[in-house]
Amino acid sequence: MIYVFDGAMGTMLQSANLKPGDCPELLNIIQPDLIKKIHLDYISSGADIIETNTFGGNRIKLEHYGLADRTREINIAAAKIAKDAAGKKIKVAGSMGPTGKFIEPLGELSFDEAYSVFFEQARYLAEAEVDYILIETSIDIQEMRAALLAAKTATNLPVICQMSYSNDGRTVTGTDPQTAAITLEAMGADIIGANCSLGPEQLLPIIRILAQNTTKPISVQPNAGMPHLVNGKTIFPMDSTEMAQWAPQLIEAGASFIGGCCGTTPQHIAAIKKAITGLKASTRKQSLPRLALTSRSKTVFIDKDLPTVLIGERINPTGRKKLAAEIKSGSFLSAKKEALEQIQAGAHILDINMGVGGMDQTAAMKKAITEIAQLVDVPLAIDTSDATALEAGLKAYPGRALINSVSAEPERLETFLPLAKKYGAAILCLPISANGVPKTADERLQVMETILNEAFEFGLKAGDFLLDGLVMTVAAEPNACQETLSTLRLYRAKFGYPSTMGLSNISYGLPNRPLINSTFFAMCLAAGLDAPIMNPYDKPMQDTLFASAALIGHDQNGRAYSLIASNQAVPKGAATAPEIDVDILTAIKAAVMNGEKEAVASLVERALAEKYPPTEITEKALTAAMNDIGIGFGNGKLFLPQVLLSAEAMRAAFLKIKEILPAQNLQNNGTVVIATVKGDIHDLGKNIVAALLENNGFQLIDLGKDVDAETIVRKALEYDADIVGLCALMTTTMTQIDTVIHALKKSGSNAKVMVGGAVLTQEYANQAGADCYAKDGVVAVNLAKNLLK
Amino acid sequence: MPIYNSVLKQIDPVETKRYAGLGKVDFNEAIIQKACLEAQLLAEPKGIWQIYNYNTCSYKVESSPEFLIRGEKIRKHLATSAKVIVLAVTIGETIEKQITNYFKQGEYSYSLLLDAAATTAVEQAADDVEKTIKQYTTAQGYQMIWRFSPGYGDWDICFQPEMLHLSDAKEIGITLTESMMLIPRKSITAIIGLVPNSNEKNEKKQSCSACSKQDCLARRSS
Repeated sequence: MIYVFDGAMGTMLQSANLKPGDCPELLNIIQPDLIKKIHLDYISSGADIIETNTFGGNRIKLEHYGLADRTREINIAAAKIAKDAAGKKIKVAGSMGPTGKFIEPLGELSFDEAYSVFFEQARYLAEAEVDYILIETSIDIQEMRAALLAAKTATNLPVICQMSYSNDGRTVTGTDPQTAAITLEAMGADIIGANCSLGPEQLLPIIRILAQNTTKPISVQPNAGMPHLVNGKTIFPMDSTEMAQWAPQLIEAGASFIGGCCGTTPQHIAAIKKAITGLKASTRKQSLPRLALTSRSKTVFIDKDLPTVLIGERINPTGRKKLAAEIKSGSFLSAKKEALEQIQAGAHILDINMGVGGMDQTAAMKKAITEIAQLVDVPLAIDTSDATALEAGLKAYPGRALINSVSAEPERLETFLPLAKKYGAAILCLPISANGVPKTADERLQVMETILNEAFEFGLKAGDFLLDGLVMTVAAEPNACQETLSTLRLYRAKFGYPSTMGLSNISYGLPNRPLINSTFFAMCLAAGLDAPIMNPYDKPMQDTLFASAALIGHDQNGRAYSLIASNQAVPKGAATAPEIDVDILTAIKAAVMNGEKEAVASLVERALAEKYPPTEITEKALTAAMNDIGIGFGNGKLFLPQVLLSAEAMRAAFLKIKEILPAQNLQNNGTVVIATVKGDIHDLGKNIVAALLENNGFQLIDLGKDVDAETIVRKALEYDADIVGLCALMTTTMTQIDTVIHALKKSGSNAKVMVGGAVLTQEYANQAGADCYAKDGVVAVNLAKNLLK
Repeated sequence: MPIYNSVLKQIDPVETKRYAGLGKVDFNEAIIQKACLEAQLLAEPKGIWQIYNYNTCSYKVESSPEFLIRGEKIRKHLATSAKVIVLAVTIGETIEKQITNYFKQGEYSYSLLLDAAATTAVEQAADDVEKTIKQYTTAQGYQMIWRFSPGYGDWDICFQPEMLHLSDAKEIGITLTESMMLIPRKSITAIIGLVPNSNEKNEKKQSCSACSKQDCLARRSS
């Protein structure tokens, strides 16, 4: 059966002369006949379902018009008008559009606030007996999740969830239709679809993707093409004939609810109705449900025929004092760093554990999940035994999370399973019962069955489960390895769901644990382990994973394996370092030019040991290198980051000389007082000049940024500066240069003045009375040397 | 008052190299990656915007109080705009402190690279906010033209106070020094013209060749 929705309400109101700035929903009260007529027009055009005029009927939107206190009145009036028009045969969908605000952390609205706003609207619509709740035009999956949860809680009605996608096939906040379909179906959406933003042609591929990723009916309500503005009015160009031509294709792609959004009229709906008459909803190939986890912008599948999925375990403060202390202090910087680095190391899912004693785990979990989900695009596993912390994490998470874990302990089953169902999360099932850890595979299987049966009772289903094989210590339990392998095989044979586990327990108490761990890992992969929870930085484990993928067939013919450089045969003896066959000063010079600061330090140490005088090292190696670098930079062969690496190498050389010969006076080319002028907070450019001068034998007095004229003059006199360097980056601060130069001359200082900075020019320097203008740090070094000749 | 805090899933290493003055030169790519990753970690992107009508005859943004646009280039740029968006974006102070720390520790080159990655991050954050706004403006039949900031061309930087006021940038923690510098330093204010779709306008994307700063470190060669 195919159902036809109505078309646009806003377009009809616009053509009925609704003025911009007027509240369309207020018309439900002041012009109910107009709204009813639009409904009736759509019904006579063939709509099976009409939508209430409540798109902007939530409290936040109505507040813009000072109508928040009439939210109930407006929604109930709208539903009544629609019900009146609909009669008995036509169904009414209560429309709920966005609040116009983004949910935290994308925006300022909290999930709970959004939830209560949608809860209120859904309740009023249900009170007036609409047939569906239609959440539409959502561009933020968190807003959709809040609205869906609210609608499911406030009513018993079927809920339609329609997101809006952009040209790139994602919502503007990054969610793709596959991810949306999986996330929303898991949370209990009854119909999943797309509307607005795009025309039917662009929505077609999106509908196909939805159809491949949900078993729920699909709805589609395209715009009448992309809009133009004519005489201040928004016009949608696609006429009803053209629009209707797309309808059969949208049905074939999987939609069974079809209507129109912006720019569509009763003519469009009549044409669509005509075009689909006699068509049947397309039958979708139902594949077996797979376990899928989602983030805001990505879906990860875990199943026996798919490559192994690596769950990164590092965001866990257990046994990590520094991380625990940081989390306790409210900082998640290290946790976030671990998140990024684990992904770089190959993690596909990140486990988040906030089990720090003596702190509010709920608040920590909420913050960790919020911040990490904002930073990375891999799905997250919420690792806790605390139901309150779990719910806080699930709520904050803009996707379908994995709950780690649900055991067969009654309390855990009763508290965790409803949360999994409510927030659409998958569960990691851990076969531990109130009687403890079962030792044999058969016992584990039994406990697992208890968990799964209970989960089914709470409404979970195939595709929601990841089974833990349990690992004991082989040093204590001789059969530990065999039992785990048997468990994995039995899980696969009996349930067919994917499996997981942490592995390192196996080797506890044994020497060379990495060898035991990686050997055990290979055995488990062969026995059917799909998603190990492990340290992604562990090289032997990663190597084992790569090799196993080639052997098991996930990496066909070992192609990926062959690409890893470490697996290529290396001819022996080729990698030995050549002896330095140049003299040591040449080697130091080369190392400075290459920016090799560690090498420089050891070479300088050797040179000193060989009794080269420091002045000779400085002149023949270091200064010579910087001269060549200056030339290279000047003619565009070297670039600033390279010059700075060389400066770092110079610094390492000087530090080494000072360390070995503390009494040694190194070359002093002169004293430079340098500052960024008052009002200017740019530091980096000035710092670069200072660093280059300092490492070319000048004594540097760096006064910092935002320094007033008085201080600069005082310091110049105090240190008897040979040169005063002034930096200004903006037209608004440039004039400070004049002020400083004027004050310096008045003070009787003999210092030469060098100026530089983004907006400065030679002309400006001349006019301000500076002795020279340095366009960059390398030029500054040369000019400084010339000034003091 | 729409607030949108961008998601930065990756900092572009190519742009980072350009801002560091490296262009397409070979440099230690692992270090560039490290700087991009650290910028992603430390950036705290926040954005805010407001839409106003724009009078092309009087060159006034119809805010309260009105805001007169001065400058030939910016007026020409906005000549067909019926509305304007005034936008402010920042990535916060944390990264700024870290850039300074690295320099103090003698990591000159890495400090410069992190600074370049931070510049890339704030530009990406602004691009992302723009993309979000586009959803609304396209639906109303407008086309967005490229963003223009005080200090570009002949649009004086002294209009920053008005830009902060019109975008309500203090909501996301941006303030101004007396010399018109934005704090945090890695912040952007900009105006974006909204041109009705019926007025065909295919302005070329902003290009380095239009800028008078010939010796800019990040100048694109073509």
